[in-house]
Amino acid sequence: MKALAWVLTAGLVVGAAEPPMPAWRDEDRKSLEKGEILPGLELLTEEVPEVPQEAADVPAPTSEEIAAAENVSPEVDEQYLNAYFGARPETFLVDPQKLLGSKDARDRESFLKYHSGDSQVDLFVYLFDGHQAIPSGVREEEVVERFFSEGKPAVVVYYYLGAPQKSDIYVSPLLSDTVSAPEQRRALISSVEEALEKPDALAQIEAFCVQLSIRIYWMERAAGLVKDEPAAPVARRVKEEAPAKAESPAVLQAKAWGQRYGVPGGIMASALLIVAGGISIARHRARFRFPSFDVPPRLGGSHAAGIGAVISFGSTTQSPSSQRNDMPNYLGL
Amino acid sequence: MKCPRCVQVIHRGAGLCPHCGFGIAEMDARHGKDNVSLRRLADVAGLMKSRERSKVQGALDDFSRRFPQLFFAVYTGSGKGGGNVRQFGFWLLNRAAFEDVPVDRPNEAGILLVIDPDTKSASVTWGYLLDPYLTEEDTFLCLSRAHAYWLEGRFAEGTVRTVSQLGKILAKRAAQARRDPERFERKVAPPAKTGEIARRIREGHRQVGPKTTEVTK
Repeated sequence: MKALAWVLTAGLVVGAAEPPMPAWRDEDRKSLEKGEILPGLELLTEEVPEVPQEAADVPAPTSEEIAAAENVSPEVDEQYLNAYFGARPETFLVDPQKLLGSKDARDRESFLKYHSGDSQVDLFVYLFDGHQAIPSGVREEEVVERFFSEGKPAVVVYYYLGAPQKSDIYVSPLLSDTVSAPEQRRALISSVEEALEKPDALAQIEAFCVQLSIRIYWMERAAGLVKDEPAAPVARRVKEEAPAKAESPAVLQAKAWGQRYGVPGGIMASALLIVAGGISIARHRARFRFPSFDVPPRLGGSHAAGIGAVISFGSTTQSPSSQRNDMPNYLGL
Repeated sequence: MKCPRCVQVIHRGAGLCPHCGFGIAEMDARHGKDNVSLRRLADVAGLMKSRERSKVQGALDDFSRRFPQLFFAVYTGSGKGGGNVRQFGFWLLNRAAFEDVPVDRPNEAGILLVIDPDTKSASVTWGYLLDPYLTEEDTFLCLSRAHAYWLEGRFAEGTVRTVSQLGKILAKRAAQARRDPERFERKVAPPAKTGEIARRIREGHRQVGPKTTEVTK
């Protein structure tokens, strides 16, 4: 065991050996001793190779050329035209140029899907860069008429990222008869105003979509696509259950007693009830008999001569005792 | 035991009242000596409605059920000849033949309540079977229970109260009689003769045994 530990320790020592240190060359040592070189000087100084100055042959651009360069917007590359305008888009956010990051694009797409599920009118957003322009050969109205004349009504927006004021709106033929152009413009302007209040392009497109979704709801009402019943959930007064009242200490104590003595108390009560019921039944069924004795007849009566009390009920002001009649009646009247 | 006319105490077996000479013959002369056919509830004066009569009849039936030897009868009216309600009750219970009472319950086991609306009075009379068990005070207690009702003209309710109260008293007396029948027998036993009492005193209250000649015989 000790031998094994020694071998392992020796192996670790050999494995931990450092690499060889750099060594001075003789000429460098001599130069250092003469003061010709300083250690680390090469790190502090940067030698820039001198480039020979060449004469500028290209003429400077004119002011017209500079103005033209600023006004001309590059058109959307042809490679994306088919993705943009080749067919009815399968997603609500049309961004073949990947202008939005994947996460932002997913968020916008999920919002537009939510809008589609909640509304009778879909919202399609064609996304372009802010400095781009749609090629002149593409007619936006024709694209909308061609791809959105069938199926669910839709609102199509050409949105320019970072420049929402350049956006344009179109509606599918099903809506164009009921939603007027001024109404469409008002919806677009309202959405653009909402977007311009945001500081960055991502927040702008988010605000733009939300506001336009709200305006589409009013377009639905104008188009008669929404019935009288409210599409949005309406808060209704729910019959509230009476909150449980705080139980008084007496009630709690009674409950505690009930839990503690409920069973024996119930048994005793049942026993008492049974006994009381038995007594009641016994009394009901009881028959009373009298011993019969020979009683000699009196006053000539063969059956009876037991004379009881006589009471008068002529006066309401006197007690029964005072109206007891014990007076003799010799005259038999 | 009192005379129904002079309300004086009379001795057992008196044929006539020793104080006033009252006997049933006087009442027979007034009301007749023939038997009178009646039912237990005879509302001759018409004091009760039909529904009330059935209620009273139920109370009478219940009394008969609880006391298999007895029956309770109610008569409202003063009779043809008028007169005192106490004397009339005495005569009626002796002369009445109750149609709805079994023959095994003779009038000796009867209790008769007479309510006279003319004189606004009521009385209770009982047969010889109940002589040891009922007193005048018992009957007054029963009539007192009904007094308030009768004052208001609610004769049926008052009558039911009377029957119920008398049932309670008799139930108690029946229990007492079962435990100690001699106590009640003494109330109705014939009084000892005067000569017998003197002989007992002379012999020091010793029992006299039979003579030898009587034993031989």
